[in-house]
Amino acid sequence: MDYYISQLINGICQGSIYALMAIGYSVVVGVVGLVTFTHGEVIMTGAFAAYFAFQFFGNNLLLGMVASFAASSFIGIFVYKVCYEQFFDAPRHISLLLTIGVSMLLKNLTQILIGPNNLPLLGVVENKFFGVGVVGITLVQIIVIATVISFSLLLFLLFNKTRWGVMLRAVSQDKRAAALMGINVRATTLAGNCIGSGLGGIAGMLLAIYYQTLIATMGGSAGMKAFSASVLGGLTDVPSAALGGFSLGIIENLGITFASASYRDIFAFIFLVLVLLIKPEGFARKRGGVRP
Amino acid sequence: MKKTIAHYVSDLSKGIKALGIGLLAAVLIALPIIYPKSYVMGVICRMYMYMILAGSLNVINGYSGQFNIGHAGFFCIGAYSEAILATKLGLSFWIALPIGGIMAALIGLLVAMPTLRLRGTYLAIVTLGFSEIIRLVALNWEGLTGGPIGIKGIPSPLFFGFKVSRSIHYYYIFLSLAALFFFITYRVIHSRVGRAWLSIREDELAARSLGVETRFYKATSFMYGAFWAGIAGAAFAPYFRFISSDMFSLDEGFNILSMVIIGGQGTLLGPVVGSIIVNFLTEFLRPISQYRLVVYALLIIGMMWLRPQGLVGASNSILAGGVVKIGRHRHTPTGAAAASGAASGAAPKGGR
Amino acid sequence: MATLLEACDVCQYFGGLKAVEKVSMKIEEGDIFGVIGPNGAGKTTFFNICSGIFKPTAGEIYFRGENITGFLTEKIARKGMARTFQNIQLFKFMTVLENVKIGFHIRTKTNILTAILRGKRFRDDEKFTEEKGLEILERVGLTPYKDTLASNLPYGLQRKVEIARALALDPKILLLDEPVAGMNPAETQELSDFIRKLNNDGYTIAVIEHDMKFVMNTCNHILVLNFGQKICEGTPEFVKNDRGVNEAYFGKGLVVGEGYNHA
Repeated sequence: MDYYISQLINGICQGSIYALMAIGYSVVVGVVGLVTFTHGEVIMTGAFAAYFAFQFFGNNLLLGMVASFAASSFIGIFVYKVCYEQFFDAPRHISLLLTIGVSMLLKNLTQILIGPNNLPLLGVVENKFFGVGVVGITLVQIIVIATVISFSLLLFLLFNKTRWGVMLRAVSQDKRAAALMGINVRATTLAGNCIGSGLGGIAGMLLAIYYQTLIATMGGSAGMKAFSASVLGGLTDVPSAALGGFSLGIIENLGITFASASYRDIFAFIFLVLVLLIKPEGFARKRGGVRP
Repeated sequence: MKKTIAHYVSDLSKGIKALGIGLLAAVLIALPIIYPKSYVMGVICRMYMYMILAGSLNVINGYSGQFNIGHAGFFCIGAYSEAILATKLGLSFWIALPIGGIMAALIGLLVAMPTLRLRGTYLAIVTLGFSEIIRLVALNWEGLTGGPIGIKGIPSPLFFGFKVSRSIHYYYIFLSLAALFFFITYRVIHSRVGRAWLSIREDELAARSLGVETRFYKATSFMYGAFWAGIAGAAFAPYFRFISSDMFSLDEGFNILSMVIIGGQGTLLGPVVGSIIVNFLTEFLRPISQYRLVVYALLIIGMMWLRPQGLVGASNSILAGGVVKIGRHRHTPTGAAAASGAASGAAPKGGR
Repeated sequence: MATLLEACDVCQYFGGLKAVEKVSMKIEEGDIFGVIGPNGAGKTTFFNICSGIFKPTAGEIYFRGENITGFLTEKIARKGMARTFQNIQLFKFMTVLENVKIGFHIRTKTNILTAILRGKRFRDDEKFTEEKGLEILERVGLTPYKDTLASNLPYGLQRKVEIARALALDPKILLLDEPVAGMNPAETQELSDFIRKLNNDGYTIAVIEHDMKFVMNTCNHILVLNFGQKICEGTPEFVKNDRGVNEAYFGKGLVVGEGYNHA
């Protein structure tokens, strides 16, 4: 029983990272209006940026966050310029294939520059444990969950209490109407893309300090999980994406108590397929009677 | 009317075309006899195999307009099926080969089913995920697949008692399979089935309004493509004598995808050109092989920017992207995509 | 005259928006049935419900006596309902003839196996689609354009191609959504004649249109929608003089019977 509880706690913690990844993804897809395959690599960029920040400037979490957010946003600009800017009106498959190409590019460049092996990232957060026996929570886990909650709150405030938030929401609903209202759609889309990417970067940092390792190929599984979790919200609804992330984390960690740990990634896939089979349009605000 | 390469070719008289094909066939058949260099034959064998892989992916992506990026998974199923049947059950290559294809086709159906109603992006992710899952299963199911060790000592095919193991002989197996693939695919494409696939690609809503059962045809195209990828895998296993799960990773999937994107989507020649180019690049870039995928990525990006349909792809199709004048307004060819997008309530529309 | 297409209290709600509200109508065999109403009245949504693109929130649709509510579009097309679209959903990169050939899909039978073997069924199908395709083009007057890419044609001809393609289904009923939008008076008259000729040949036709002259001259029965609701149904004369219809188009307070051309 204790084991299950500790796995549940692991699930909530990992789920919160997945939630952040999914939130970032939903922001990007929601504001830009195009589905992307690059989010995994964006997350990876954040992880490595934090790694190097820790290497050069010590284990300062705040600095790590700044570094990862900045680096991922920057990569977000690159992705925007290459994959989206010219292709808003083109057939969907073109921007999608471009994001696949960019994801391949980033992954392999990172492998060349930094090497294909696991890089250890130990001791960024002290190894403190609060609890009894196996059941309890570590300091890392507390920090992870707190970070995700803080950024989710910040995002909520941004979207709902600021003028920029209104612009972002307007652009995500109808670009043409937003333009007619005098909103600079180009800049807003870019901003939304970068904010979502930045959140992905933070998630990357959290992955790195939680697992205490990072590798250039981590983007693939991260991207897959971000996508699977945000499908619950039709790829664009942020709260549902967060719910999806938490659910995925819990399901995954409870699932590997029954199956071998190497099958971990399968759960994201099963989760995805189940959501697609049961409720393909997710729990986003219903568009009404139109059937697929 | 914009004259495409395809038009120039099809304008040639039947006689000249037959002669051309005859000459080509003669050259290809004679090649290992004239130039029996093992290394070169090995490269050409790989080219033929990838023509089938890229070609079958092209049927799914290029002809029916779907979005499969996990083709390596079907390749994997075909290879492992043949290897397991040959090593554990002692089945002959000639029986295990079609079984490999059929296994891949059946799994292809399973993969496609959940997403037939949905937008292309969901299919893309599902195929990606599936490809990874297959690899994970192959890696971990030690009892069946040998786990990380893989399967060794796969027996070579026997052709009337003659053991086909050297590249210069196996060449003919790959050549025959490739030729068979293109012959059959040509016939299917130029028929009612092919037209149904094209209609789905170009405008799914219009196709449905004309009675085309889009779900059925999407599933069919998926199974067809998966089948041939399975065949390619089943031919690959005894050729290489050894397979393991890391040969069928996502990178392999991108490898195949690159051939289709670079060479061309929506035409029979596209994957041929793509296979030749990419395999040539693989050899050429051997000294800097870690840059290989970077080069492919850049080529994909470049192609999408400059010529989305690929080098010899279908220029007269939605694959070529671009904006087209229709009706009174400048209309992007996303009319149906927008309608079916609204219908599935998935990712929001872009500029509309 | 048998009832071909019938709608019973059909409703379509998109969240809070009542796009179509309790619309009932009957189209008899041999009708040229017009659907008119101001912009946003729900006409195209109504057609979408009939042809299976939308599943109605409430109500039923009957086609040739069969309840087709909620059927898939392709199934309804197979039952004999063809339609064209407001913004022309042609296969833009295919030639005119190729566009029409797709229309023969449900009248042919070749599957993958027979396509590979190229047996009699394949040969018959190819011959059929080629011959019948040319026949339809001849009938519609598009033969000189058979190898032209659909997107290269002028607007009026594109509309005709769409109609030709719909005819390839050999449908029992043809639903045309704003077929004369953007046409000049001469083209409009030509299409009106063409539709009446088709009707004489046995096709039942339903038309959504804004052009009043066209509707009044061509249709024998008209349904008027406004804000998703039916406000009138009847012969052109009846509808023309209905107070509700005039108020919908001109607002209250305008003298009825002034005569008008376009809504």
